[in-house]
Amino acid sequence: MMAVQIGLLCGLVVFSLLAVLLRDILKAAISLAVSSLLLGILFFRMDAPYAGAFEISVVAGLITVLFIVTIALTKAEGDVRESRLAAWIFPLFFVVFLVIDFLVMRRLLGQISSVPSSAEAGTFGQVLWKNRTFDLVAQVGVIFAGVFAVLALFRKRSKHE
Amino acid sequence: MSSAWFVYMGCAAVLLFLGLYCLLTMRNLIKLFIGIEILGKAVTLGLIATGSAKNSILTAQALAVTFIVVEVCVVATALAIIINIYRHTKSLDVRKLTQLKG
Repeated sequence: MMAVQIGLLCGLVVFSLLAVLLRDILKAAISLAVSSLLLGILFFRMDAPYAGAFEISVVAGLITVLFIVTIALTKAEGDVRESRLAAWIFPLFFVVFLVIDFLVMRRLLGQISSVPSSAEAGTFGQVLWKNRTFDLVAQVGVIFAGVFAVLALFRKRSKHE
Repeated sequence: MSSAWFVYMGCAAVLLFLGLYCLLTMRNLIKLFIGIEILGKAVTLGLIATGSAKNSILTAQALAVTFIVVEVCVVATALAIIINIYRHTKSLDVRKLTQLKG
């Protein structure tokens, strides 16, 4: 049971690494979509089907389409040479990060007292609509802000300007 | 906390590192947003793993769904800005965005 989860986690890290290191941006975007797909499957296995469905449909689907459209609209002369130094410092940076992460997390996790946990009552719909109602209001606001921002950025100039 | 939770949080920390590394070292604007996406994955994985470990998976899912909606809006707006930047500068290089420099 846990072996499948560890396999999915390894795939998630490998495809995320490919998304960062691949020079071709289209391949990097597709690697990101595959890692989102693996994360969605992982959510399904962790008994979080709604988050899994959102992850697969929205992040692996919609955001990948947005990335590919942007790449197609900017591909012509858009190649940027990345720094060669970045590839060399990657292992060093990774080791330093792991050491700092291990030290900080060991200190922090020892200090945080364990919160008593009990199984939640109700369904996902009840929790989302009753307990987290304000989140939904904020989501509507964010969606409107995003739509108006995109409309403002792509508006056509009038003849008088 | 179970040992599985530590594995998930370790994986989330590695994803966080990858996202930060991408943001700090890459020059391509689209690559920078791929880094932000990877950071978002780390946060979502941490939320769901902690919710699963603490038996509050429903609240964790509600927070994850909210985060995904915010992430989509951020990415849509940011990619629209990137296309406009490309139309102006004919490049995706973040170093060329210094025209407002005094």
